[in-house]
Amino acid sequence: MISIDNVKKVFNRGTVNENWAVKGVSLDIKQGSFVTVIGGNGSGKSTLLNLVAGYLKPDEGRILIDDEDVSNVNDYKRASYIGIVFQDPLSGTAKSLSIEENLAIAMKRGKKRMFGMGVKSRDRDFYREQLRTLDLGLEDRLKDKAGLLSGGQRQALTLLMATLVKPKILLLDEHTAALDPKTADKILKLTIKLVNENNLTAMMVTHNMKQALNLGDRTVMMQLGKKVLDVDGEERSKLTVTDLLELFSRELGDEAYDAGML
Amino acid sequence: MSLYAFFGAVEQGLLFSIMALGVFITFRALDFPDLSVDGTFPMGAAISAILIFNGVNPWITIAIAVAGGAAAGAVTAILNTRFKILNLLAGILTMIALYSVNLRIMGMPNVPLLGFDTVFTSLENTGMPAYMANVFILGIVALLVGAFLIWFFHTEVGLALRATGDNMKMVKAQGASTNRMILIGVALANGLVALAGALAAQVQGFADVSMGIGTIVAGLASIILGEALISSVGVVRAVIGVIIGSIAYRIAIAMALTIKIGGVSLSPSDLNLITAILVVIALMFPGLRSKIGVVGK
Repeated sequence: MISIDNVKKVFNRGTVNENWAVKGVSLDIKQGSFVTVIGGNGSGKSTLLNLVAGYLKPDEGRILIDDEDVSNVNDYKRASYIGIVFQDPLSGTAKSLSIEENLAIAMKRGKKRMFGMGVKSRDRDFYREQLRTLDLGLEDRLKDKAGLLSGGQRQALTLLMATLVKPKILLLDEHTAALDPKTADKILKLTIKLVNENNLTAMMVTHNMKQALNLGDRTVMMQLGKKVLDVDGEERSKLTVTDLLELFSRELGDEAYDAGML
Repeated sequence: MSLYAFFGAVEQGLLFSIMALGVFITFRALDFPDLSVDGTFPMGAAISAILIFNGVNPWITIAIAVAGGAAAGAVTAILNTRFKILNLLAGILTMIALYSVNLRIMGMPNVPLLGFDTVFTSLENTGMPAYMANVFILGIVALLVGAFLIWFFHTEVGLALRATGDNMKMVKAQGASTNRMILIGVALANGLVALAGALAAQVQGFADVSMGIGTIVAGLASIILGEALISSVGVVRAVIGVIIGSIAYRIAIAMALTIKIGGVSLSPSDLNLITAILVVIALMFPGLRSKIGVVGK
């Protein structure tokens, strides 16, 4: 279980630009749960994800993964628990390394890297089998450089790499926002497939309200650094995009509409 | 060019290819422009020369020189990763500091090795001519270092190291420490450069505190020339390309030095100008090659 325990994050503390990006958020994510986090620009949703990933350290509060306090654990050490897919489809893979070499790096997440062969011949069948599930024909291109792939293909590969070693939580940071609608749809379907097949715990940040309600089993809405909505089950299934929009405007005033929340 | 001059150029090319392979690790694999090599090359020479001068086995002096170079490289890496000093500046600081360190190591500006046994004299004593013995030993060392690097770049650490020069965000997300990779890479690179320095001192018969000037440029010139001659697709071709590029670079310089323009012939003092022109030509070469229709990828 992932516990975010009354976490606060402030930027530029003590200056005129002091900005409380996250103002005391608590969130318990149960094993196997898929939480979507929605909010406008500056709502603190991305900050929250970065706090869980370890790219930011909380100023107050704690982050626990399976009852272990990881608040001050470095990002790369925390990566042994976490799979992450970024918004930029090029940032999850190394372009000058081949597909199999990228996968070999992902195979070692959370383990000590030594001087054994990176790509072992016995792993190749496993890589092929995994790549086949992406349905992109990458299983025949093990030796191709990742830089030769399209953005969508690279994002699919990143998803696979994030889940190759089962993470305690899969973090998705608007991971379809930079893709064209058709590719985005494909990546979303792939996400659902990987999450379901591996029974993963996941947290997805998005600013697409439809996505936030249709995907996963729980939706959290952030506004000005606070959690303003946290629904699951029946209550969530009754919720519509219009309801969410109304909630937005109530929280923010009518500015939300002007800010183009659709 | 005489056969003797040709062998001399091949000897130099093999010797400096070991250094260029070190530069390849930092500049190409890690994307870390490390200038400390201008200090670690003479450091390797200094350590090896002064130890031989004091009666230590020449092979053992090489091992100690490599360790010294790696330690200096580690300093550069730590200045960059721990103390957040810009990589270029971290290398320059180490290079400057090493100038003093090298003088301390030798206790004098240069150490002559004439009459002392080196790794090369052991083979010459079997009756092999010196120029062949040098090429033989340097060739074996260059091949061993090249093979070692090809192996290393395919290990678990090697993959993470190459990825660090490409995409640090990805490396961290996959749970590897980019700081550790930079430390390993820069230390290894400078260990190899010091190895080349130690061999240089032994083959030339002296170590000099100023022998490192321009090391980095020669290394880069070899890498770029190799990439122009052999495309750098894949680790194996890239490593072989560095060795071939280094030899081609020394041959090109040897040939350039025989050129006479009117009454003026080029002299060794024109070396830096020739190097600059060579690098420019090599950088233009991939474009030229596709223009004249030779298919190259």
